[in-house]
Amino acid sequence: MPRNALAGLAMLMLAVAPATAGPDEPVLRITGRIADGAAAFDLDALRALPATTLETSTVVTDGTHRFTGVLMRDFLDRLEAQGDHVTASALNDYAVDIPLADFRDYDVIIAYRMDGAALDRADKGPLWIVYPRDDHAALQDIRYDYRWVWQLSRLDVR
Amino acid sequence: MKRLGGAVPWLVLPLAAVPVFAVLLTFSLIRMVGVETDMRVEAEQNMLWVMHQSEIAARRLTETAMLAELGEAGADEIALRLDILGSRIALLNAGPQRRFVDRHGLGAELDRLSDTLDGIAPLAADFTSDDAAGLRAALGPFPPFFGRAANGAMIAEWDNLGGRLETYRAQLRKTIVSLIGIMGAGGVLAATLVMALRQSRQRNRLLRRARDFSGLLISSSGEGILAVDETGRCTLWNGAMAAMVGQPAEQVVGRKLTEVAGFFDIAPVRHGVAQALRGETAQLMLQPLFRDSHAPPLHVDLRFFPMRNEGRIVGAIVFLHDASDRHAAQQKEAEARDRLEELVAERTRELDDALRREKSAADLYRNFAAMISHQFRTPLAVADSALQRLIRRGPHATPDEVAERAGRARGAIAGLTRLVESTLDAARLEAGQVGARRRTCDLAGILHNVCARQRAASPHARIDIRQEDAGAQAAFCDPAHAEQVLENLLSNAVKYADTGSQVSVHLHRDTDRLLCDIRNAGPQVAGADRARIFERNFRGANSTGTPGTGVGLFIARSLARMQGGDVALLPGDAGATFRLSLPRRDGTTA
Repeated sequence: MPRNALAGLAMLMLAVAPATAGPDEPVLRITGRIADGAAAFDLDALRALPATTLETSTVVTDGTHRFTGVLMRDFLDRLEAQGDHVTASALNDYAVDIPLADFRDYDVIIAYRMDGAALDRADKGPLWIVYPRDDHAALQDIRYDYRWVWQLSRLDVR
Repeated sequence: MKRLGGAVPWLVLPLAAVPVFAVLLTFSLIRMVGVETDMRVEAEQNMLWVMHQSEIAARRLTETAMLAELGEAGADEIALRLDILGSRIALLNAGPQRRFVDRHGLGAELDRLSDTLDGIAPLAADFTSDDAAGLRAALGPFPPFFGRAANGAMIAEWDNLGGRLETYRAQLRKTIVSLIGIMGAGGVLAATLVMALRQSRQRNRLLRRARDFSGLLISSSGEGILAVDETGRCTLWNGAMAAMVGQPAEQVVGRKLTEVAGFFDIAPVRHGVAQALRGETAQLMLQPLFRDSHAPPLHVDLRFFPMRNEGRIVGAIVFLHDASDRHAAQQKEAEARDRLEELVAERTRELDDALRREKSAADLYRNFAAMISHQFRTPLAVADSALQRLIRRGPHATPDEVAERAGRARGAIAGLTRLVESTLDAARLEAGQVGARRRTCDLAGILHNVCARQRAASPHARIDIRQEDAGAQAAFCDPAHAEQVLENLLSNAVKYADTGSQVSVHLHRDTDRLLCDIRNAGPQVAGADRARIFERNFRGANSTGTPGTGVGLFIARSLARMQGGDVALLPGDAGATFRLSLPRRDGTTA
């Protein structure tokens, strides 16, 4: 049961983490239909997971960028997520529903690094949902553009 | 001309419709592609939302600062709100957002606000409620800026949207017009197509009818018609042909013509087909066509013609005409002619014979006169002197003397009578008045009779008969004629034999004839006489002093030949040997 062990580890880390902001503070909370009902990850825990890198352009920046992060599909599988969509919320309370099908069809990642540098909370960080926009013409559509949640803080599996 | 005049508009209209169709279609396509490309929503068209969110971030920060003043919010909260606002400013300073800000003359102000934010950022590290008033004051310009920017963004987006809609409408209008044009051109083309289809159907119907008609012509033709392609394979075979050759079309079409029937493999027919395939017509008259071995052949006329398609020879067509009737008529005619010729020849022969008979009669009279002057003189003189003696002696004559002299005179007269008879025999023979009635008879028996008579007439003669096979010898001949021939030959042999010498008769046979050689030991026939000895009234050099008419051998040979036999003088160095040959009954010669 490596997943449960990992989740347990994350909970443990959450339990011992100080309340103030820092690298050990949980940056992502997952709720809803997952194995343990709720989970939280700090940056180190996320970085410890297998990383995926993809290169793509975005609609809010010029040129292409290299994003590194956790593959959403594997991440939700680890948590044994059940359901058909995820409500992703940002620090500024922006919220959007994303069908789980997106993660099956495309290699969507939760990026924590752009062009080798960690994403800053003052600049779309620390977590950004990134779609492989350049690899699929279907993704070059405003209906996908609004799913690029930056300053991601919560995932609610429904 | 009327047809051509009617056809021109029907040709011009579709021809014009095609380029119109193509041009309008291209135009519409380009328009549509343009619209499709334009129909994308760029992120910067979302600037109203961006500005709104930025303003909210600024106001939340101000609000948090106020709560901090009241002691209801901590440094963490301030840091978070500050980061959220910072993130917004960073977003505005990036790529498309920054260009929008610059375009609307807000760049300098944004730079100032960025600087302000950079200035207050360190506050978050160790924020106290005392810093809150300063923070709020610093944040003062942010909401009005975002409000103005949102205002500008709204106007810009509406202008942009309105302009784009107008462009789309204009382009769609043009496309609609083009589509109407395309429909028109398409209608013309469709109408043309329908017309062409109808015409082609009609033409097909006419063609089919023409084909059916020619098929009917071919099938109901009394002449046999066949066609071959350039490789010599049969492609057409009509009913008359099937009836003549005795093979139905199903068994023939597709096969090599030379394999269909032996008739088509004979040299002249093959040659005719080859000639037609070279482009020349050919003709063969009255070729016999055997369908099966029992029936008599048909006699057909063949005509070969090349089949051309646009100047190229694609095959040959052959017509077979049953000319058996004509052939029969010709045959009949030829037979009649032959019969006529035969008749003429026969008549000519008869006339020739008559002429010859006339000539021989004339010859006979002439020769008869000569012979009388030569042969009659002596017996007449003998009879005359015997009678004169009797007259002179008168009553002195003794009865014996009278008898002797009268007997001599009678003998001379009897000789004369024989002479006249044999002369007449020869004449009859030559005139063809003597016929032979042949039958099977015993030649040996006849020979023995003749010899017995000859011995009685000439007691001093020595006649020796030798017979190869004992018993009867069957010959196919007229016995009376055979007897006369043997008598002539034997009396000749006795007459010309040396006194006291022997005459030998030898009867034998070869494969198909009976042979009778009669040989004497008399003087030889002179070389010059041998050729003429069988001529009528010819008397050889050695016959001088011997009474005779010169017709004996002539009669003998004529009679022998009349019966299918012959009389010949055999070569030899002593005496003379005459051979009579007659067909054997048991032999092969009938």
